[in-house]
Amino acid sequence: MGSGTEQEDRFRRVYAGNFEALLAYALRRVDQPADAADVVAETFLVAWRRSRELPPDDEIKLWLYGVARRVLANHHRGGVRRERLGERLRQRLTAIVTRDPGSEVPQRLAVQDALSRLPETDREVLTLTVWEGLQPREIAEVVGASAAAVRTRLSRARSRMREMIGDDLGPPGHVLDVLTAIVPEEGR
Amino acid sequence: MTDKHLDRQVRDADPYRPDLVARLGGAEQQLLEEIMSTPKLDVVENPAPRRGLPRRLAGAVAAAAAVTAVIGVAAVLRDQPGDGGATPGAWSGPLGLPSAGTGGAGGGYELDLKAAEEHPRLLVGQSGWKITTVYGFAAAEGTIEFVNGKRSIQMNWYAADQYDSYYKDRLEVSKPEPTTVAGTEASVFTYGGGDWAAMLKPAGSTFVELRTSSGWQRSEFDALLASVKRVDAKAFLAALPAEVVTPGKVREEAAKVLADMPIPPGFDVSAVNVDGANSPYHFGAAVTGQVTCSWIAEWSRAKDAGDKEALGRAAAALQSSHQWKVLKDMNAEGDWPEAIWDTVDQMIKKNKAPEGYREGLGCQ
Repeated sequence: MGSGTEQEDRFRRVYAGNFEALLAYALRRVDQPADAADVVAETFLVAWRRSRELPPDDEIKLWLYGVARRVLANHHRGGVRRERLGERLRQRLTAIVTRDPGSEVPQRLAVQDALSRLPETDREVLTLTVWEGLQPREIAEVVGASAAAVRTRLSRARSRMREMIGDDLGPPGHVLDVLTAIVPEEGR
Repeated sequence: MTDKHLDRQVRDADPYRPDLVARLGGAEQQLLEEIMSTPKLDVVENPAPRRGLPRRLAGAVAAAAAVTAVIGVAAVLRDQPGDGGATPGAWSGPLGLPSAGTGGAGGGYELDLKAAEEHPRLLVGQSGWKITTVYGFAAAEGTIEFVNGKRSIQMNWYAADQYDSYYKDRLEVSKPEPTTVAGTEASVFTYGGGDWAAMLKPAGSTFVELRTSSGWQRSEFDALLASVKRVDAKAFLAALPAEVVTPGKVREEAAKVLADMPIPPGFDVSAVNVDGANSPYHFGAAVTGQVTCSWIAEWSRAKDAGDKEALGRAAAALQSSHQWKVLKDMNAEGDWPEAIWDTVDQMIKKNKAPEGYREGLGCQ
C-alpha cells in the first residue's frame, strides 16, 4: 500500500507514463477535442481516488483503458459532467487539434465510415488492436471479455471491414499521415 | 486484403496525431496538479495528520492553478486538524471544525461579523465584478472567486507560516515583480498565456494570493490589483452574494437542506454545525456529510447489534440519498453527491462500510 507520499509519487509516475496513451484513446473516440480533456481528467481522477489500490505497474495501463472506456460510455450517454478540472487542457486541445486534411481523403473516409458501422464492441476490439496496439488478451482485460471472445470479434470485425471497404482502395500506406493543417499559434 | 493490409488502412485512419502532447504547453502537468489537489476517497487508516492542501501543493511547480481551479469535492474535503473526543458518526469537516459554541448555534449577524473580522477582507474595487464562489474561512484558508464576464480571479488565502514555501514554489514559475496590493507589499508572478498571480506578504495570520484565469492582459491585471481594497467586516459581508451561508444563517439554511432527508437517531438538527462562509454547494456538502456519517454509524451499530429493523431503516435512509434534493442540485457543480452515492452503494452492495469512507466524507 505504501505511505501517502509513495502513493503520490507512484500516481505521478502512472500519470506521466500513461497520459498520452489515455489522451490518444479519448481523442480517437470523441467528436470534440475538448471532450477528450474531460474523459482524461475523469479517468485520472478515478485513478487518483483509488491510488491506494491501483493495480501493479504491468497492469495499470489496461486498467486505465478500462476506466476510460467506462467514462467514455458515460460521456456518450451524456453523463460526463464538465468537471472544473482540466480547463487548460480543454482550451489547449480545442486550440491545437485542427481538422486534418489527411483525414478527408477518400480512403480514410471509407475506413472511418466502415468503422462507424461496425457493432460497438467489434469496433472497440479492432481499434484497440490497431490504434492502441493491444493484444487480444489485453483487450479482454479492458472490455471485460474472454480472450477467445475478443479473437472472435476481431476476426469478425476485420472481415466486416473488408466487406465494407473492399479490396479496391489500392495498396495501403500512402503518405496520408502528414499533417498539413495550419496549426494556430500557441497561447490565446 | 490480408489482416495486415486491413490493419494498415485502419491505422492510417487513426485520428490521433502523435505530436500533440508536445504542444499542450504544460496543460497536462496542470491537470495532474489539479487532480492531486483533490482528496482521495481512500486515505490511510492511521489517523496520522493528513497532509493539507497547501503542503501537498507547496512543492509542486506552477501549482497555483491547481489550487484555484478546483472547487468541487476538493474544496469541501479540506483537511482538518485532529479533534479528539468525537462521537461515532460525528462529522469533522470538510469545511470547518464543528467546535462547541460556534457555528450553527445562532448568533446571526454578530456571529458573521466576528467570523469576517478574523479573515482578510479584500474586495475588487472595479465595477462589474461579482463574487460567485466562496469557501473556507473557518480555518486559515479560504477562497473567493470574482467573475466579470469572461474574466475571473480568485483570492486564496493560506496560513502565514506557509508563505515561504509558496513563495519558493512560485519562484520556479517566474521572476517575481514587486508591487503593492491594498497597501501590502506583493510579488507578481507570470504563468504565461495571460495568466498572472500576485502574492501578498503575510498580514496577521494569513497571506493572500490572487490568481487570474487565463487570457488576461497584463494591464488589466495591474488595473485590477490597483483597485483591490481592504474593507471592514460589514462591507465584506455586504459584498457576499445572498446565497452564501454565513454562520448566522446556518440554522435556517440547514433546515431547508434537511427538509427531505431522514434524520438519523440522536442527530440534533439544531446542532448542525458549519463554520465560516460557504457557497450553497459547500454548505450542502457539509450538511449532507454530517447526516450521511451519522446514518452510516447507525447502520454499523445496528449491524453489530443484529438489529435488523434498525439496519433496514438505516439502509433505506442512506439509499434515499439518491433522491435528496440538495445532492441533485449540487450534482452539476461537482463530485460531492457522487462521493456520497458511491459510498452508500458500495456499502449496501458489500454489506460493509467501505474502507476509508470516514476520510472520504469527513466523518470523525
